[in-house]
This record gives sequence, structure tokens and C-alpha cells, in this order.
Amino acid sequence: MPERTNYWGIPHTWGEPETFVYIIMFLSAAIMLFRFYKRASLWWQIGRPEARWDKIPQRLWLVVKYAIVQTRSLRQRYPGIMHAAIAWSFFVFFLGTALATVHDHFFEFLHGNILIVYKFTLDIFTIIFLIGAGMAIYRRYQEKPEKLTYDEGFTRTLVLITVIVLTGLFTESLRLAAERSGISAWSPAGHLLAQLWISTGATEKALTNWHLGAWIIHLLTVAFTLITLPVSTLLHALTAPLNIFFSKLDRPIGALAPTATTEDDEPIFASKLSDLTWKQLLDADACTECGRCQDACPAFNAGTPLSPKQLMLSLRESFVHNGTKPVLTGEAIPEDVLWACTTCGACVQECPVLVEHIDTIVDLRRYLVIEGMVDAELQTALMNLGRYGNSFGKSERMRARWSKGMEPKIKNANKEAVEYLWFVGDYASYSPTLTEITKQTAEVFQKVGLDFGIMYKGENHAGNDVRRVGEEGLFEMLAEKNMKAMSKADYQAIITTDPHSYNTLKNEYPANGGQPVLHYTELLDQLIASGALRFSKKLDYKVTYHDPCYLGRYNGVYDAPRRIIEATGCEIVEMPRNRDCALCCGAGGGRIWMEEGEIEERPSESRIREAVELGGVTDFIVACPKDVTMYRDAVKTVGAEEKIIVKDLIELVYEAL
Amino acid sequence: MPNIVALVKMVPDLVEELEINDSGTGLDRDWLRVIINEFDNHAVEQAIIIKERDGGEVTVIAPEAEGVEDMLFTTAAKGADRMVKLSHDDFEEGVNNHALARAFAEKAKEYQPDLILTGVQANDDLDGPVGPLVAEYLGMPYLGYICGVKIEDGKALVCKEYPGGLTAQMEVSLPAVLGIQAGEEPPRYVAISKVRQMMKTAEIDEHETDELDPDGGIAVNRMYLPEDAGRAEMIEGDEDEIAAKLIEIFKEVGAL
Repeated sequence: MPERTNYWGIPHTWGEPETFVYIIMFLSAAIMLFRFYKRASLWWQIGRPEARWDKIPQRLWLVVKYAIVQTRSLRQRYPGIMHAAIAWSFFVFFLGTALATVHDHFFEFLHGNILIVYKFTLDIFTIIFLIGAGMAIYRRYQEKPEKLTYDEGFTRTLVLITVIVLTGLFTESLRLAAERSGISAWSPAGHLLAQLWISTGATEKALTNWHLGAWIIHLLTVAFTLITLPVSTLLHALTAPLNIFFSKLDRPIGALAPTATTEDDEPIFASKLSDLTWKQLLDADACTECGRCQDACPAFNAGTPLSPKQLMLSLRESFVHNGTKPVLTGEAIPEDVLWACTTCGACVQECPVLVEHIDTIVDLRRYLVIEGMVDAELQTALMNLGRYGNSFGKSERMRARWSKGMEPKIKNANKEAVEYLWFVGDYASYSPTLTEITKQTAEVFQKVGLDFGIMYKGENHAGNDVRRVGEEGLFEMLAEKNMKAMSKADYQAIITTDPHSYNTLKNEYPANGGQPVLHYTELLDQLIASGALRFSKKLDYKVTYHDPCYLGRYNGVYDAPRRIIEATGCEIVEMPRNRDCALCCGAGGGRIWMEEGEIEERPSESRIREAVELGGVTDFIVACPKDVTMYRDAVKTVGAEEKIIVKDLIELVYEAL
Repeated sequence: MPNIVALVKMVPDLVEELEINDSGTGLDRDWLRVIINEFDNHAVEQAIIIKERDGGEVTVIAPEAEGVEDMLFTTAAKGADRMVKLSHDDFEEGVNNHALARAFAEKAKEYQPDLILTGVQANDDLDGPVGPLVAEYLGMPYLGYICGVKIEDGKALVCKEYPGGLTAQMEVSLPAVLGIQAGEEPPRYVAISKVRQMMKTAEIDEHETDELDPDGGIAVNRMYLPEDAGRAEMIEGDEDEIAAKLIEIFKEVGAL
């Protein structure tokens, strides 16, 4: 029966080899932990306290999902497999070493078939590791994607971990070559390499000496890697699981936290490191510089100064130099970087280690707003919102002007009970180019016999993007006004036209009697399913559908709009960036109110080109009023008027009724 | 350190349609919505810029009107030190500029101002008399169309705008009244939470104006919306038809 030989071929000249191994490893681990503690203590020494200790089982589950299985990382095939190959191999090596320790000191079990499985598994993962490392080398030195950081620290790490695995393999194969054991084929990589050593004709003694050399290098490289881990790019092996463990569970992704306050209830407007929480600093330290956020970022791809990755690195750079570089807004992080964000959520969605970029961006924007550092267009929009409750600067009495002449007159939900309270939103109400679509929405509701009403001048801008601009006080004021108006209405559910209103009403407004909030696409989807909405015409357009950020990524409504489009008879051809990978139109987070600044290609233009490249798609379907505005402009600026038409989903429904 | 007084009034907000009152001599104030006079807003901004640069105190004085408290709290959130609301039963109905200027002057002099800033004009009185009248009642010099103010050695160095894009620099001894065309910077944004904070902490001094003396002012005989002249004729048709019709008209009037 095969037996495991501990410390095979290691001389006992200076005593038990395991004594040395344990001393070296304990010292290395202690140094590593001490250095890590020094680094990590910056988080809570500089950052504000924030409670993230609740829901431990849920947090541990997140660690399993994102840090161990690495589902986020695996969303992208090549880098996902590459990273999993390397990380999982090390998990297995770590486990293997731990089991060997258990076997040595506590419970002997590594013999016979168990030993064979043990050896085979470790050996297979050696091969898997080498494939992963090969992929990493190809990617970093041959393919060289722009999103990566090309810093020698990454090379050093790659060299270290490869040396660890190769010296481990050498140790094993040299032992196999010397032993000529019968089970050596169960360690296929070691076995193959052993044949090479055997073919050199080296004596057993020579092989045993080489084995000792490889073993010592292996041991020392592991020790060195551990000692340097907290100052190397491997730091993420500690910070990433921590960041995942402490990720936000207290609110849905669509809800921002209100402005934090001090113990004396004074609001904290974050402009420097110490205004951020320790978790926000941990975010920066957990960043692995993989660049997926940057790749997905509409602002970065448009050529604005914002890269979510660079934002995190600037934050990290700043707190590593705390004391000398504590000011963030305007210094470590320029204002135009903060203003470029559309809050589309793509960075947060892509981050393998659950960094929360947008929360920090909004916190820093809150400071800029309180200091009045906003551009002229944004200022006008905010002043209009404060004074008239809409960004258009029109009288609230004009809010429902689009409905003038409609028969029957749309009910005033503040005066009579309705089943559905329709929250129309600013763009759908005021934008002259959208009133036709809004009317069609109302007509569709009327035709399906929906009992609905609107709040007329009682409705205010819902405040989703006001909040994301960083104007928390104005958001609160708008929300209070809307809540007051809604509290006077008698309704069973809210429907919205605008995904932005939808998001804030659903996720950020205090639950008002618990009535559900539905986007109109969710409602229509329900009506189709129940048979209340039937189409008389079958459209045969070949269309593509653009997922609005605040409907898709923020609220997971992907299928309802697609089912409606299919029910109208249209064929959907998906764009490469669809569903949670959809590209933002560029209007969110208050960008629609701001000066555009220097830009290479608008996200909306990139999106229209993407749709045109599908070939044969005639209609670009959206489910957000701002999208209609953004994409109709983009179709003109890219000169695609002949190729594609932008339509709101309701226009298809209206046509097919 | 200069003692600065800014005189501010609320004027009709043009987002609402304006209606003429029953007697046909003014706006129907029942339905009127009012907003800070844009030029006064610039005057407040200029006052605060001076304060931030040279120190001193800023007092904002405004006659009673709907929403005037919110407006005053906003100026406090921007940095004004004192807010004064003038009250009198007639303010809400609108008073003429002589009466207003007397009320302003009477209150402003209590603060022994070095500088009085006000908007050079307002959308409800495009001839801009409030500044000059206040200067007259207080015996101070007046300069209008000002777009920048610096205080130096007890004097104010001001920029004055002239038509055709010209700017002049002038020196005026203090105290003086300045009619502000534009502040050095556009009025700043003030976050709602700051205004709300002011509403909780700051206080508005309310000053009862004893008498409103409109003497010297003008009386409006008739106020009316521009009447359709009905002279425009739209020419319809395609390019050729329009061109042919144009030639016909030119011949008719003897231009061809």
C-alpha cells in the first residue's frame, strides 16, 4: 500500500526538517500579518466608522460565491479562466499542505487510494496552474489589453507564484525520479518530468541533492512571497475577500445612502480621506486593477477623464500618502472626473471584488454641490428643480399640458381614487419631442381599460438623478413633495414611464403603504400574460432593444420588455452589449443636465453604431424617455437616419393594438 | 472692512403667463408668481464676493412679497450676515419705485453702509430708478451698469459697462450706491440643505415701514399685451411657387 513519506530526502543534519519549516513559515506568516495589519489599520485610522458586521452568514456566502468560486471574475471567459486556474490551484495547494499537516500531526489518512487521489489532484492542479500562468503571460506580454496596469509588481508576482509551483513540481519529480515508485504515474506532471531527470542518467544521490536544492528554493520562495504579500499585488488575496465580506447588504443597489452625519448630527460632505468610511478605503485597497470597470465605463470610453479603476487607484495612492495628500476633491480626484460619471452601474456590476465606485463618487459630488462647484447648466437645472419641481424651468401648471384635449380626460389621482397612479416624470411630461409618445402611453392605458390617474401639478421630479448629482437636500425636498402628494391619492400601485423615477420611487422613497411600483413595461407584460392586453396587428420589424440602466442593471427588469416586443410580433436581434452589459446612453446621474465637456465619441453614438452594425435592424427600441431624446440625437449625429429609427416600446404597442 | 447693503426685490416670474388686472393699469397680482430680480441676485453675489475678499458685513434688505423669506434665507446660505424684510400692507400690491426707494433708504441708512448694491434694473421697471433714487435720498453718488467692484483705500474701483462691449474703470468715493449689471461671477448655486439649515438657524429682522410715499412716481394709464398687427402674410407652396409669388409682390410694391 502506498505510504506518504514526510520530508523525503531532506537530511536531518541540523535536526528535524519540520522544525525549520514550521519556524520559517510561522515567522513569515507573522511578518505578513503584521505588515498587513499595518496597512489595514489605515482603513479605520483614517476612515470613518461604518457598521458592516451584520448578516454574517449572508456575508460568508458572498465570500464563497465571489472570492472562492469567483463568479464575477468568470463573467469574462479568458481572464476568468486564467484567474480561476491560478487561484483555484493555490486554494488546492494550500488545502493539500494543510491536509499533509493534519496527516503528520493529528490524523494519519494519506495512504492507499486516498493518497493516490490526493497526489493526483495536486498534480492536476499543477498543470491547471501552469495553463493559467501561461494564459497570464500571453495576456500580459503579448495581448496587452489597455485596461491592465503594466507595473513591474504584477510581473514580480507572476514570477514568484510560478517559481513556487515549478520548484514544487521539480521537488516532486526529482523525488519520483529517485524513488522510481510504482504509483508515480498518478502524478502525471511529476511523472513526465521525472522521465527527463532519469534520462540525464543522474545517480540517485545526485537526484536527491537536486531535490534538496529545489525543496529549499521552494520553501524560501513561499516564505518570501508571504512576507512581501502585503506590499505586493497579491495583497488583493486578502483585501478582496474582506471587501466582498463587507459589501453593502443594507440596501438594494438602486438605493444610495443619505449624506452621513457626525455624532452631533452635522452632515459630512466628503472632500478628504477622513470623510470617507473605512469600507470606502478598503474598496480602494481591494481593487485588483483588472480594468473591467474601465472597459465597461461609458464615460471612459467616451474619452472623458473618468476611469473607475483610476479613481480607486487615486484613492489608494492618496491614503497610502495620507497626511501629505489627504484632499480628494479637486486634488487627488479632479472635479471633472467626478462629474463625468453617468451612475450607470456598469463598473459596480463588473467588479469581481464588489468595489462600490458610485457611492464614493456621489459622496464626493455632494461636497462639490454644497460648495456650489457645479457647472452653469447643472446649476440652472438644479435651480429649476428647486423652484418649479422640474428641470425644464416651466411652471408646474404646465406639467400635464401634454394631456390637453385627450378624451376622456385623465383622472386627477389627487382628487379621485384610481387603481394605478401614473408617475409620468419630467421628460415625458415636458419635453416637446416626447409628448406624442406620452399621449400614446395614455391611449394604450385607456384602450386596455386601465383605471389610472396622474397627479397633474402635484407631481414633482422624482429626484433620482438629483440625488446622484449629489444634491441630497434637493432630493429630500422633492421626495417630500411627492410623498405628500401621493399620500393624498388613493391608489393600489404606481406605474412610471421613466426608469429613473422607477428606481428612486421603488428603492429610495420610504415605503408608502407598501404599494408596488411598476415600470410600464412590467405592467404591460402582466396585462399580456393575463390576456387583458391583446394585439390586433402583428408587426414584423426586426428590432433591437436597449436596456435602460435603471431598469436593467439597477432593477433586473430584462425580460418584461422583451416579452412585450415579441408579443407585438417583432423579432429581437440582441446587440453584443445587452442586458446587464448594456451600454449607458450617457444621460444618467444628472449628465443630461451638465455641460458635455470634451468628449471623443458620445456613448449614445457608440450605441447606435453598435445597433447599425447588427445589419438589417430597422428599429432601435427603448423604454426610457431620456433614451428617446439621447438616441434620436445620436442617430442624427452619426448620420444613420436612413438605417435605423429610435422608438419607445410603447410606440410598438400602440401600433400593434 | 466695508459695510455692504444689498437692496433686493421680487419681480414677476415669467414662467407663468402674465395677466392684466381688471382696471387695466397693471398686472393681476392675484395670480402673480414672483422671483428674485435677476439683477438684484447679481448685486447680492457681488456683495458676497466683496465680503469674501475684503471682509465686512452684508445686509440684504427686501420688501415683503410671497416667497421673500425663502429668497432671504438663500442669500444667508450664500453668506449674507443679516436679512431684513420690510413690511407694509401695500407691498404685496406693488408700490412705485419712489416709495420703494424711500423705504429702502430709510432702512439702509441705519446700517451706515459704505456701499449699497442693487440691481441696475428689474423686469418690472426697465428704467432702473431705484438705485439713483436711493442715492439721492441718502446723498450718495450713484454709478449704474456695474460689472465688478473692488474696495481700495476707502474707495470703490468699479467696472462699468458701456454699449458696444466697452468697459470703463472708475473710482468712486464711499459711501456710494451702485447699480449692478452683473456680478464678477454669476450667482452661485446654493445647496438646498444649506438653505434649509438657514431656515432653522438664521433669523430675519422684520421692519415695519411706517409710510410709503409714492410722490414723484409715474402713474400708469393703461397696461396691455402687444396687439396683433395682422400684417404678416405667410407664403405657402414649393420653392418655385414661393419665388413666383415673391416676384409678384415685389412688383406690386414697386421694388422691381
